[in-house]
Amino acid sequence: MTIQILNGLVYGSLLLVLAAGLALIYGLRRVVNFGHGAFYMLGAYAGYTAAQAGGFWAGLAASAVVLALFGAVLDRLVFRALQDRDPLVTVIVTFGLLLVIEDAVQWIWGTEGRSMDAPALLAGSVALGGDAFPVYRLAVIAMAAGLTAALLAWLHRSRAGLFVRAASLDPAITAVQGVNTDAVAMLVTALGAALAGVSGVIAAPFLSLSPAMGGQILVDCFVVVVVGGLGSLGGAALAALLLGQVQVLGAVLLPDIAALIPFLTMAAVLLWRPTGLAGKRL
Amino acid sequence: MSGAGRIAAGALATAAAGPAIAALVPPGVLLSLLAQACIYAILALSVGVLARQNGMVSFGHAAMFGAGAYLAGIGLGAPGLLPAEAALPLAVLAVAAVCFGLGLIVVRVHGIAFAMLTLALGQACFEAANKARGVTGGADGLTVALPREIFGLPAATFQWAEGMFLIAWLAMVALAALAALLARSRFGLLTEAIRENEERARFLGYGTVLPRAAVFALSGGIAAAGGVLYVLYNGFVSPETVHWSVSGSALIMALLGGTRTVWGPLAGAAVYFLLREQLVEVTERWLGLLGILLVLVMVFLPDGLSGLPRRLRRQRGAEA
Repeated sequence: MTIQILNGLVYGSLLLVLAAGLALIYGLRRVVNFGHGAFYMLGAYAGYTAAQAGGFWAGLAASAVVLALFGAVLDRLVFRALQDRDPLVTVIVTFGLLLVIEDAVQWIWGTEGRSMDAPALLAGSVALGGDAFPVYRLAVIAMAAGLTAALLAWLHRSRAGLFVRAASLDPAITAVQGVNTDAVAMLVTALGAALAGVSGVIAAPFLSLSPAMGGQILVDCFVVVVVGGLGSLGGAALAALLLGQVQVLGAVLLPDIAALIPFLTMAAVLLWRPTGLAGKRL
Repeated sequence: MSGAGRIAAGALATAAAGPAIAALVPPGVLLSLLAQACIYAILALSVGVLARQNGMVSFGHAAMFGAGAYLAGIGLGAPGLLPAEAALPLAVLAVAAVCFGLGLIVVRVHGIAFAMLTLALGQACFEAANKARGVTGGADGLTVALPREIFGLPAATFQWAEGMFLIAWLAMVALAALAALLARSRFGLLTEAIRENEERARFLGYGTVLPRAAVFALSGGIAAAGGVLYVLYNGFVSPETVHWSVSGSALIMALLGGTRTVWGPLAGAAVYFLLREQLVEVTERWLGLLGILLVLVMVFLPDGLSGLPRRLRRQRGAEA
């Protein structure tokens, strides 16, 4: 049972990092990025290639850089250009990007699944209550916790973080105060994309790589941000950890309906508490 | 000619074009492709009706399409229980009825949240189709044997490209005409008014949830009709039919064609299948190119291809 709860925590941690990026971008651009799962997949593949040359940590860094650049370009060319249009138009554009990225990844890396090794430092397993548990999975929890803590510290302790929080509360007033909100949004979109890329690399050693890996996790991310409240990191964190447990424990305890619980929860939250469990604040 | 007369005349003329196309196109792969295209055009039409009347973008319509296919398949698999002539319309009505009930709830969700909700609910249906092995056959799918005759037509008609093309073409035209007539009825105008400003419509004394739920039910019923034709033609349905990539393709067809007009999604489906046919020959990168096309259309032609004539007229008007 301990092992199952830990596995749920591992998946929840991964969702947390992904959903944080999704919520950040939504906060600034009022757009839900349907391409977020594709960013995650692209990040995993970019990290895979870099890791073959320079090892896992190089892969992690390369993925963050590549996806941050990608996010910055996306913000400049798409989100900023379309900011006065119906947000649904931008959402559909991100859906189009999803198709382009999935196809490009198949083009470059092929369709067969690939696997990536955990770094040597984190290989092997430890005994937990009589069962063996991979060290790498514990490291995933630690990495996600570290990233979230760093993100929160940045948002609440730094000047740039203050601008991000202000701009997601009210972009017009923030701009009037002399903050370049377009630059803030670009930074945040780059950061959100980088987080997606990093979580792709983090996931790669325990979930195998395939061009379809982004689709399923995108839906789970949507459940997380809707249940937690779009634009709320605390809510997303709570929802991600809960969903991780539901996915893993549910599959053990209620195999027949476990898969439906997240969707039903999402529908219920959208209807009765559209701001999510934690409200809309960042 | 009155608007309703124009729709009737247009529908009759288009319906008559069906046999001509069937006669001109050499039988074989191309005609089979056209039959599939008509079936998916019906799905695109259903996505378009929801977008046009309710302003809702659905990423989950494969669920209704698949539900229609599964229910019809299950009904045909139990011939002792129900004659096929009853099972097929019942499949459509059942999906429409469920959509009405669901619609009473989901039409309260708007915009991006609705898009996310439909994606999640669609995926839930995909999971359910995979899990409920006893009913759906799980991942292996459901193979459906047609009875010898349905509505007096031999079963082979439904699984023969030319036969199914004509049936799907006529169904497509009839459903589009129905949607067009409904769009210009009092009911259609009311839903458009609600789409534009729900609060104002409520202020005028209209209930807004029921009409929107009715549109959702209509849209679900049209999608289910497409699914029924799908299972008749293929004799098979699997969870792949319910997968969100199918919903995504239907949405792309509807948006390429444009959802301001009822016929836009049909044009979008035609473009989608023609492009795919042409591109698959020269490149494997067809999905990526489709994605680029979708982005370009959304950015530069938000009303889709069917909005083009209007746009050109307006431009010429501006120059003159």
